[in-house]
Amino acid sequence: MLTMNKISKSFITDDVATHALRDIQLHVNEGDFVSVTGPSGSGKTTFLNIAGLLETSTSGEYLLDGEDITKLNDSGRSRMRNQKIGFIFQSFNLIPDLNLFDNVDVPLRYRGLSASERKQRIEYHLDQVGLASRMKHLPSQLSGGQQQRVAIARALATSPRFLLADEPTGNLDSQMAQSVMSLLEDINKAGTTILMVTHDPSLAARAKRQIYIKDGHVSELTNKNSNLHVVGEA
Amino acid sequence: MISLFARLELGPIFRALMRNKIGALLIALQIALTLTIMVNAIFMMQERSQQMARPSGVDEANTFYLSNTIFAQNYNTQTSMQQDLQRIRQIPGVVAATQINAIPLSGGGWSMSLQTKAGDDVEGTGAAVYMVDEQGIAALGVELIAGDNFHNSDIGWRDVGSTKWPPKALISKALAEAMFEGNWKTALGKTVYIDNHQPVQITGIINTLQAPWNGWNGVERSMLVPQQLDGRGSRYFIRTEPGRRDELMPVIEKMLAETDRGRIIRNVTSMEQTRDKSYQEHQATNTILLTVIIVLTLITGFGIVGLAMFSINRRTRQIGTRRALGASQWQVMRYFMLENLLISTAGVVLGTAGAIALNIWLVSTFSMSPLSPVLLLIGVVALLIVGQLAVSYPALVASKISPATATRGRA
Repeated sequence: MLTMNKISKSFITDDVATHALRDIQLHVNEGDFVSVTGPSGSGKTTFLNIAGLLETSTSGEYLLDGEDITKLNDSGRSRMRNQKIGFIFQSFNLIPDLNLFDNVDVPLRYRGLSASERKQRIEYHLDQVGLASRMKHLPSQLSGGQQQRVAIARALATSPRFLLADEPTGNLDSQMAQSVMSLLEDINKAGTTILMVTHDPSLAARAKRQIYIKDGHVSELTNKNSNLHVVGEA
Repeated sequence: MISLFARLELGPIFRALMRNKIGALLIALQIALTLTIMVNAIFMMQERSQQMARPSGVDEANTFYLSNTIFAQNYNTQTSMQQDLQRIRQIPGVVAATQINAIPLSGGGWSMSLQTKAGDDVEGTGAAVYMVDEQGIAALGVELIAGDNFHNSDIGWRDVGSTKWPPKALISKALAEAMFEGNWKTALGKTVYIDNHQPVQITGIINTLQAPWNGWNGVERSMLVPQQLDGRGSRYFIRTEPGRRDELMPVIEKMLAETDRGRIIRNVTSMEQTRDKSYQEHQATNTILLTVIIVLTLITGFGIVGLAMFSINRRTRQIGTRRALGASQWQVMRYFMLENLLISTAGVVLGTAGAIALNIWLVSTFSMSPLSPVLLLIGVVALLIVGQLAVSYPALVASKISPATATRGRA
């Protein structure tokens, strides 16, 4: 489903070049739940951004669902994000001026779906995360855990094949974090591929595969799947 | 179509605006105020421009006049004036010349009331009076559309203090229409009364000849009478062949000054200069109004840019999130342009009401004409375009925000 072949990313400011990722080799199969850990500044977010088409790599090849992402222009990447990728952010990234209904509606409008289909999807997914009764509320009227559930509903509403979670429990207390993690596990069981960046080793351990990034290099710590996919540097 | 409306996000944009009303409301009010002032100012400019564009009836490009002031004692004014006019008419390039008591659009002249019936209590119609000889029509360059010109035998001398009027007159079409219920042709040959009781027969109709006062609502009403003022001050009105006016103005001035040392020739002025001076205030007012319109529009434009930039800076993370969720650069740009369109629409709706209210006040207070709906529509469209142009740069800046902002910022 996702294949990265010698993906590198460098940031050049003035005369200084910072190598955030170096020759990443990675393959993720459909239905995988991959956790990504590593120290601060190791390149986790850059890795996630490239995987989620939020940034482009400096070199290398990236195939998502068989399509060579490096050949897509900005518009093509936007379309791909909207159609195939769902995002869950550490700070939830809900739009504060919109109620829950309109927040979940945002990616669906970019998809160009009809009003009735959008309504059906929004109600279904808000119901799935237990917030159907609060769809007219603003994000500020919800707890952190509830906001993250809305963000998950928003991510799932477009029926993505690939869910990217950036520290999804980072701003939640442990009880809320467990609840959100359980929700992600359920989503993965339903067939959605998940790539999750986290600092929390206990949460990372619940993923089927654990990837560790340090100094821009990727290595696989564990793989609960029967077949090994990773080719990485230790 | 459904898909298009779904993508436009008008509903969410409107609901989001309702939760952040103050900035949007201030810009909408600014747009409303701009429209109110702009439309009425343009309307006032238009009215002035229309006034300035009215033809005086005179061949302005080829006419000029000068003042002849006599200071010598024991001076025969009548002989002197006749000799002057003969000399002027003999100069090659001169078409016609006449002595005249007042100049169209100059701001100073004579007016009398004409009545269709004699009597002290009969209501009359005001008209400007020009005293000319048989070359008056040719010298002014006005068009005689009915009747006959004066003959040399019609011309009489008039003392400065006299109240006697000649028995004939040529009147303008507008004056004829005002006196004879819109049918100017019926005026020809009719006798009207000047100074309540003195009969005057209308022997000709001239197409257009404006009065000396451009702000007078009867500016088109004028009459020519066959009289020459006999006094120590007079004006000669001269028409030249096309293109020779500027050449002949100093020639005639010099000739008159040199042939008679008992008088002063001064104020040699073309009709075009007189028109310019006459409408100087109109021009100045229009320039001021235009400046006000430009400044107001610029302030509104900058206000829109400022609000949009502030809004974008405040929502950088949100824009990044939208991009991450699949918004293309164009969709982000369109979001801000539509947001501005909603604010501008509210502004122009308020502004339309304001413009109409201000115009009603202007009409009732200053007797102006009612505002043209077409002008109002043009003002509305112009401000909507200004809004879209003003927001296009901030919208472009917003569209360049990277989707990675969604994960990079931790605000």
